[in-house]
Amino acid sequence: MKPARFAYVAPDSIEDVLDALDRFGDEAKVLSGGQSLVPMMNFRLARPEVIVDIGRVGGLDGMSVVNGSLTVGARVIHARLEAPTGAMPDGRTEPLGGVLGSLLPEVARFVGHLPIRARGTFGGSIAHADPAAEWCILARTLDAEMVALRRGGERVIAAADFFETVFTTALEPEELLAAVHLPILGDDWRAGFCEFSRRAGDFAVVAAMTAVRLDPATGAISEARIGVGGVAGVPVRLPAAEATLVGEVPGAEVHAAAAEVAAGEVDPAGDLHGSAAYRRDLVRAMVARALAQGAGAPG
Amino acid sequence: MSWVGRSIRRVEDPTLLRGVGMFVGDIGGAAAVRFVRSPVASGLIRAVRGPAYTIEDLDADGVGNIEAVLHRPDYVRLAQPLLARERVRYVGEPVAVVVGDTAAEAEDLAEQVELDIEPLPAAVGIDGALAPGAPLVHPDESDSNVMVAGEMATPGLAEALDRAHAVVDLEIVSGRQAALPLEARGSHAVTERFGGRTTLHASIQAPHMVRTVICDLLGMPEADLRVVAPDVGGAFGQKLPLAREDAIVVWLSRRLGRPVAWIEDRSENLMASWHSREQRYRLRAGFDAEAHLESLQADVVANVGAWPCYPITWGVEPLMALAELPGPYTPEHYGVRSRGVASHTCPMSPYRGVSRPAITLALERLMDIAAPRLGLDPVEIRRRNLQSDFPHTSPTGLRHDEGTYREAMELAVRHVDLGAFRSRQHVARAAGGPQPGIGICTFSERTGYGTPAFAARAMGVTPGYENVELSMDPSGYVTVRIGASPHGQGLETALSQIVADEVGTDPGRVRVVASDTDRTPYGWGSFASRAMVLAGGATYLAAQQLATKLGSLAAEALEAAADDIVLADGRATVAGTSVGVDIAELARIAHHHTQRLPAGATPGLSVQAGYDPAGTFSNACHVAEVDVDPDTGGVSVRRFVVVEDAGRLINPMIVDGQIRGGVVQGIANALLEEIVYDEDGNILTTSLMDYLPPTVAEIPDIEILHLETLSDATVTGAKGVGEGGTIGAPAAVLNAVNDALAHLGVELNEMPATPERVRAAVRSATGTPAGPTN
Repeated sequence: MKPARFAYVAPDSIEDVLDALDRFGDEAKVLSGGQSLVPMMNFRLARPEVIVDIGRVGGLDGMSVVNGSLTVGARVIHARLEAPTGAMPDGRTEPLGGVLGSLLPEVARFVGHLPIRARGTFGGSIAHADPAAEWCILARTLDAEMVALRRGGERVIAAADFFETVFTTALEPEELLAAVHLPILGDDWRAGFCEFSRRAGDFAVVAAMTAVRLDPATGAISEARIGVGGVAGVPVRLPAAEATLVGEVPGAEVHAAAAEVAAGEVDPAGDLHGSAAYRRDLVRAMVARALAQGAGAPG
Repeated sequence: MSWVGRSIRRVEDPTLLRGVGMFVGDIGGAAAVRFVRSPVASGLIRAVRGPAYTIEDLDADGVGNIEAVLHRPDYVRLAQPLLARERVRYVGEPVAVVVGDTAAEAEDLAEQVELDIEPLPAAVGIDGALAPGAPLVHPDESDSNVMVAGEMATPGLAEALDRAHAVVDLEIVSGRQAALPLEARGSHAVTERFGGRTTLHASIQAPHMVRTVICDLLGMPEADLRVVAPDVGGAFGQKLPLAREDAIVVWLSRRLGRPVAWIEDRSENLMASWHSREQRYRLRAGFDAEAHLESLQADVVANVGAWPCYPITWGVEPLMALAELPGPYTPEHYGVRSRGVASHTCPMSPYRGVSRPAITLALERLMDIAAPRLGLDPVEIRRRNLQSDFPHTSPTGLRHDEGTYREAMELAVRHVDLGAFRSRQHVARAAGGPQPGIGICTFSERTGYGTPAFAARAMGVTPGYENVELSMDPSGYVTVRIGASPHGQGLETALSQIVADEVGTDPGRVRVVASDTDRTPYGWGSFASRAMVLAGGATYLAAQQLATKLGSLAAEALEAAADDIVLADGRATVAGTSVGVDIAELARIAHHHTQRLPAGATPGLSVQAGYDPAGTFSNACHVAEVDVDPDTGGVSVRRFVVVEDAGRLINPMIVDGQIRGGVVQGIANALLEEIVYDEDGNILTTSLMDYLPPTVAEIPDIEILHLETLSDATVTGAKGVGEGGTIGAPAAVLNAVNDALAHLGVELNEMPATPERVRAAVRSATGTPAGPTN
């Protein structure tokens, strides 16, 4: 339970971080909060030659609101999303409103335990890409955009393209995940999140996030998003289940029908914490409850 | 006012709470030892290549084999080498050992060791190990995997079952659990350059026994080995048997002439320390028309892993089940076959409760299943069956001293307000959603037994007695040297209360010395809910002797009759007068003015006493309230009530702490913790991501009520209480889960009742997937 030998660098500017990543390539690993990477190194499941610690770099821990989206800096710790605030264009910092403003605290409380939330970072979780991690499910469900920097360049990666497989993303070895853009979701959206884990603070066995947009005239669903974690190597969207919702007015039967489609739409593998059949059952329950929560009904 | 019975603060706590305890890992200054462990469950060792010590090195030094023996015809005897010889028998078995300057370097070295092992088929679970043609774990010594097989029956059992008014059949399964002490195992050995004496610090429960076996293995006199258990971060039975690793650490320190330390990591602890609890019970029970349990037939199988543990042997789980299965009930006819089956899995040691969590699960599920068939509720069927005439002698000859089996249950049921619960449950069933359930568990806990009980097991060595040396120094302070080896239980505090009462001093003037073979009398350590009864009893007897000595000194000094001397509040006074002398002054006289001693008196104030009782039974009733989510199978424990009768309570706060800790481990056993192997014998639960102890969020407040029936079988009136929490909690929780889902027809008799198992039971009972709850 001691890590293999590694070199350690702790640059104090983004430029130096990007230089280090450029120089060491896939021998390097970025250390942010260390809540996943360090245990994996202690188990020797991860054996990076070089650790690039971004803890001394300024400018990566801001949250700001621009054009209807929240930009979360990669080094924002989980705990700050329990009561999210954003820097407004006029420079003031305000509590985050909108549906996202209520959803983030609801999700953040499921992330690990207090010590993990006080050290672990939003960007670290996204870049680590555990398929059952709450922030990865959120990013995929809301179609977040990931901002990746490299020496002399920047690109934006859509969530649908970002998560490739377990612990694997579209980030190149020389790229640093610097920030994530999340849509704030207007008042016509309703979102819900429901998770089943063995113990408080564990990774989800299955978790579901739902977001539906209501037509203000009819009350019917005009757009639906269902994201599920714990059923594949990446968090997945469930387009068939989403489609059953569009045009319907939210309600128990509509939710149950969508949940049933969702349970059939996933193709989970079994493991120690749940067989494939059991995970389907959980998808059914979690999707129905997330939809009910979003509709304001008790779960 | 007496000190016994008061919840004084624990003298152990300031050190631990301030973080200044001294655990094995805190000693430092030693090279790091790392074991190279088998990656396969079964195989033939072809070669070990790399910079490591192997069995050949041990053999060349004449190191012997471990022999954990029961003198029984049905017991297979083995000689176990300290490192694997020729064969590996479980994933994690130590094959070689390396020494590095740091733990990280030792791990690097271990990675360089190449094990060339020809894999063989493995016998894994109970059915796999019992199957005809199963791979044999010890093919040279036995042609089956059954390593111990006890059997007994009272006359007339079959006839009694035939004529029973109702017969209930039941199978319960208990998953494999690990004790999971917060501090994993570890040891640190230093050999003096001159004289060659070795000091071993190890995280263990029985230092004297460990000294004996290591000296036997290494062929050294016990006088040349000092064994110390410093602060120990939990043990629960896992640190009772000899750790092969500890013996090798001593050997390395002597061979290399440098201090060495092995600090077990969490993965090693989960994979290769000791496991317990993997058992299956099949019961057939005959009830008469009044619902009395008249006859009980049982078939018990315990998976005992690849090797026995020393000195307890792999008979401990199956043979305890055989002896104690009738529990708090009184079947006239009892028959049992109980087997220990070897498998290519980690060996088993006793774990807090030993077989009794599963025994109790079997009996308490039996009562709950039988009750509705006999037209009764769970309370009434127990009311009719629990022991109430004392002493009661069980069909296997165990004497139960007086207890409060029925009274504890009645009190628990009143405390939880069963009627109000049933009303809430009725409402919840109509509403859907999470379903509340309540479960009752009554049980007996055999505790505090000495040599007579262990001798009946016919062990190769017979543990039992405890000795205590007690002395008052010239300052009037008392030092108690004990053979028991407390490691967090609060025994030092409790013993100081006993001494204070007998000697008339303050507990603050009593020091307890333990866990160091150089400074304590030979004894057996702390396990089996014994230390308070045995070390407490010996301390009580020794303190009485010291009081007698002080009384005669005071009589001489005060020119009074010894019988008239009263020792209290630090003074020896003549009864009914204010004439007296400070006890500290008597201590001065005893050491510094021995010319004033009564004729023939020995200078000084040292006494010793031993104690070796046959044993006593504690009893308790646990009640659990749970919420079960039928859609996910998730179970939340909402409320937990314990009514315990542990005889005289020396320090009630410490007793409550023992109960609470045990209940938490019992809830873990019921719902969360399970060591899992795949069919090839690979262990899947090697980190705390996969092996799931409860967090504070999974545990409700635990409400504790006491009854206090003084034992006539112990000198203090105290009964043991260390294991009760783990014994009762699993059955209470399983009964509650079943009660919550009874309206769906669910019957679940396997623990842990993981969400997936609960959900599968719901699906199976309802025939279709339950719809989602909105």
